[in-house]
Amino acid sequence: MSERIVEFEAKGEASAATVERVTSAPVSVRAAVERIVGPSAKIVLGPDEFLPREIWQALRELPGLITEPTDKQLSTADVGISGAFAGVSSSGSVCIAMGPPLAAAASLLMPLHIVVVSPERIVARPRDLFDPECLGGEGLRRDLVFITGPSATADMGPLVRGVHGPHRLHILLLG
Amino acid sequence: MNQMAENTTNLAIVDSPRSVANKREKRRLLEAIRMSLKIQSPAVRRNTQTFNLNRYRATAAIPDYDALKDRARWIKEDSIARLPQLVEQLRETVRARGGHVFLAGTAEDACRYIRDVCLRHGAQLVVKGKSITSEEIRLNHVLQKAGIEVAESDLAEFILQIADEQPSHIIAPAVHYSRERITELFKRKFRTDLPLDTGEDLTKFARDILRDKFLHADVGITGANLIAADTGTIMLVESEGNIRMTSLLPPVHVAVAGMEKIIAARHDMATFLELLAPSATGQPLTSYTSFLSPPLADPPFALPGKPRKRREFHLVLIDHGRLRMREDPILRETLYCIRCSACLNSCANFQTVGGHAFGGETYSGGIGGSWEAGTGTLEDARFSELCTGCSRCVNQCPIRIDVPWLNENLRNRLNQAGETFVVSGMLSTLTGGAEEDQSAPATKLFFGNYHWFAEWGTRLAPLANAIASTQTARWAMERWLGLDRRRPLPQFPKQTLASVAEELPNNDLKHPIARAVLFADVFTNYGMVERGIAALRLLRELGVDVVVSESVSEGRAALSQGLLATAAENVRRAASLLEHYLEEGRDIIVLEPSSLAMFRRDARHLLESEKLIEKLRDHTFEPVEYVAALLERTGREPWEVFDVGRSRWGNRLFYHAHCQQKTIGCAAPTETLLREIGFDLVSSSVECCGMAGSFGYKKDFYDLSMAVGEDLFKQVWEADAGGERRVLLASGTSCTEQLRAGLNREVLHPIELLATILRAE
Repeated sequence: MSERIVEFEAKGEASAATVERVTSAPVSVRAAVERIVGPSAKIVLGPDEFLPREIWQALRELPGLITEPTDKQLSTADVGISGAFAGVSSSGSVCIAMGPPLAAAASLLMPLHIVVVSPERIVARPRDLFDPECLGGEGLRRDLVFITGPSATADMGPLVRGVHGPHRLHILLLG
Repeated sequence: MNQMAENTTNLAIVDSPRSVANKREKRRLLEAIRMSLKIQSPAVRRNTQTFNLNRYRATAAIPDYDALKDRARWIKEDSIARLPQLVEQLRETVRARGGHVFLAGTAEDACRYIRDVCLRHGAQLVVKGKSITSEEIRLNHVLQKAGIEVAESDLAEFILQIADEQPSHIIAPAVHYSRERITELFKRKFRTDLPLDTGEDLTKFARDILRDKFLHADVGITGANLIAADTGTIMLVESEGNIRMTSLLPPVHVAVAGMEKIIAARHDMATFLELLAPSATGQPLTSYTSFLSPPLADPPFALPGKPRKRREFHLVLIDHGRLRMREDPILRETLYCIRCSACLNSCANFQTVGGHAFGGETYSGGIGGSWEAGTGTLEDARFSELCTGCSRCVNQCPIRIDVPWLNENLRNRLNQAGETFVVSGMLSTLTGGAEEDQSAPATKLFFGNYHWFAEWGTRLAPLANAIASTQTARWAMERWLGLDRRRPLPQFPKQTLASVAEELPNNDLKHPIARAVLFADVFTNYGMVERGIAALRLLRELGVDVVVSESVSEGRAALSQGLLATAAENVRRAASLLEHYLEEGRDIIVLEPSSLAMFRRDARHLLESEKLIEKLRDHTFEPVEYVAALLERTGREPWEVFDVGRSRWGNRLFYHAHCQQKTIGCAAPTETLLREIGFDLVSSSVECCGMAGSFGYKKDFYDLSMAVGEDLFKQVWEADAGGERRVLLASGTSCTEQLRAGLNREVLHPIELLATILRAE
C-alpha cells in the first residue's frame, strides 16, 4: 500500500500537480489549505461525500468560504476544494464524482483546485475503477472525471499550463 | 502570353488551405504539398515528432501494452459486429435516463436536428468542444446560417475558426501553426495591442474571450470518444477543460458522434482509457477524462438574468456512410479507429507536410483516406497516395488496423475506376501485369511491374544504362512514366546475382551447419548484386549450404502501387518457387527488407492458404538476423567470429534500418551484432528515409521525398561530429539510393561489411 502511495505522489508531481502529505487531523488539513490559498481568497467547497465529516466541517469554517454560492459567485471564486472519489497511482490522477451540487463547479471553474485524497481510496491503475470489486463498484455507476494535473494545451505552440480549467492542482494526501 | 499566364498559376503557391481541401484532382494534391512544404512544414514537424517520441515512451511504460491492444481490437470487432442491436439498446438506455437519441442517416439530417434543438431553446450562443465529426457534417455552417453564434472552445479549433481553415490533424487540428504564426493571426484579426508574444499570452487572450462564452452559452455541443450501450455513458478526453465546461455548464448538452463510437459495456471503457492518451499525446492520461451518463443530476449553470432550466441531453448518432462501411470488408476496419492519431504522428510524410496536404476536407493521415472514402466518395481519398506503405504506423495503432493495407486497397479501387488506355493496357500485358490492373495509370504500371523493366534493362546493359541516362530518355521517362529526372537512376548490373552465383564455386560442405536459399529479389538481382554476393560468401564461410533462387517478383512493387491482382499473382508464384526450397529443408534468406516484409507480413492478405502464409512467415530471414541466430545456435560470440580490427572502413558506423524491416522486428539484430563485434554504432531514429521504394522516384513526390530525407541527412551530420566521418550502412535498396542522393557518400549493406571482417580460422 505504501508503495502505491509513493508512486501516486511521484506521478502526481510528474503530471504537474503539487502533492502534499498532511495528517488527517481536521485542524492540520485546514491549516494546509490556509497556507496555500492566502488570506483573501474566495473559496468554494464541494460536496462532503468523499471527505471525512470532521474534515469537511473544519473546511466549512475557512475564512474565505462562500457557504451557498450563487452562480455569479462561482464564476469569480479563486479556489475550489473537492474530496476525491479515488486516486490513481500509475498516472497520479485524482478522480472526482460528478452529480451533487457544486461537484462540477468546485473542480473546474476556479484557478486553484485543491483535492483531498484518502490513502485507502488510491487504486493502482485507471482500469481498477471499472472493476465491480473496487470501491464497492461505485466507479461503474457514477459520473466521474479523472483529473491528471492542471488544465493544459499545446495548441499555442509551447506547452502552457492553465487553460480553461484550473491552472493549479494541489493534492492533499491524508495519512 | 496565355500559356505563360497559365504556367505561372500552376507554379504559384496557394496559401489558403481551404482552396486545396478538396483533392479529387491530382493537381490540387500537388499544390497542397507545395503549400505545406513552403509554409507549414517546420511547425508540423516539430509538433508531430514530439507526439511521436512521447507516444513511444508512454506505450513502452504500459506493462501489458500488447494484451491491451488485443483486448481493444476484440471489443471494437465485437461492437461493430453487433452495431445495429447496440444502437437500439443505447437508444433505450438514454431514453430511460431522460435523454434523447437521434439517429441521423445523413450529415444534413444531423445538422437539421441539432439546429432545431438550438432554435427550440431560443439559443443565441452555442459553445462547442472539439469534435472532428462535427467538422465532417459541416455543423457550424448550418448553425451560423440559422443566426446562431458558434464559439469553438478548443484552442486549436478557435484558431481555425478565426483563420477559416479546416483541421490538419485528428487530435491537434492546428498542428500546422507555429506560435509565431498564431501571434500574427491574432494581431491581424483582433487588432489588439495586448502582448501576444508567448504561448501564455495567447492562451490567456483566448481564455478570456472563451470564459465569457462558456458562462453565457445556451447550448453546449461536444463529440464523444466512446459511448457505452449498457449505461449510456459517454467518454470525453481532453486537456484544456473546455469539454468539461461545454458539457457541464449550459442547460442543453448535445453530443455528436459517429455510430462506430458505441461499445457494448461501460466496463470496457477501461481498456481504451489506458490506451488512448498514450497512443495520442503520449501521456498516461490527459488532464481530463470524463465519464458522464447525461443528463446530469445537478442543475446547470445560470448567471443572473438567465432562467434556471432543467438539463436536457441529446445524443446525435451519425451514420453518414458508416453502415455502408460496415458492409465493406476493407472500410469496416476503419470503424475500429478510435482516432488517436498514432498513424499520423508515426508517418514520415505526415510529419513533413501535415494534414492539409496529407488529408481531405476533414480527415487526414494514414487512416484519413478510408474515413474520407467511407463518409464521402472514393475520389475524396486521392490524397492517400501519400501513404508509401512504409508500415511504420502498423505497430502503433492501438486497434491493430493495418493502415497501409487499407490505402493499398483504396489505390486499387482508384486504379480500377480509371479508364483503360490502349498504351497502358499494352504496357500491362507486356510486363505480365494482371488483367484487372490494366486501367491503372502508366506510372503505377511501370513501378508495379518494375521486375520486367529491370530484367530487360539488365539484359541490355550497359546499352540500357547509357540510353537511360541521356537527357532525352530522362525527359521521356518523366513525361510518360512520371519518373523525376532529378533522381539518379540505379544502374543495371552487367550480370545478375543469379548468374554470378552460378559461376561462384560452391564450397562443398560435408556437414553444413544449415541449409538456405538466398531469394534473388528483383532489387538485388537486377540492382545491388554485390550485396547478394557478399551474403552468399559470408554464409558459406560460416558453414551454410546456400543456393540462389531464380529471380521473380514477390509482389511488393505491385502492392505498393495498388495493383492488387498483380501483387497476388506475383506472391503466389514466388511462394510456390520457395515452397520447393522449404521442402528441401532450406531456410529462406531475403536481402531486400521490403521483399522480406511481403513474406512475413503482407502475404497474409494476398494468399489463401493459411499454412503457406505461416510457412513463409516463419521461415524467411533477414541475412544479418540469420547470421546472429547461427552464431547463437552454434554458441559462438560475435567477436570470436568477426574482427572489428579488420574493417577497412574503421569502426565508426551510422546505420539506417529500413522502415518495413523495423516493423517486422528485424532491425535490432543488426544493431546488436555490430555493437557486440565492437563497432561504435549510431542508428537513425527517423521513421522512413523518404524514398520508400518508388515514391521518391516519382515526379509528383520528389520534393516531398527529399524534404523527408532531410531529417535523416541531419542525423548523419550530427553523428559525424566529433570524429571521423562515419561509414553509412543501410539495409534497404531504396534507403541506400536516398542516402547516396542526399549525402553523395558510399553506402554499404551491413552484410558487405561483415563479409570482409571474418577472422581467419
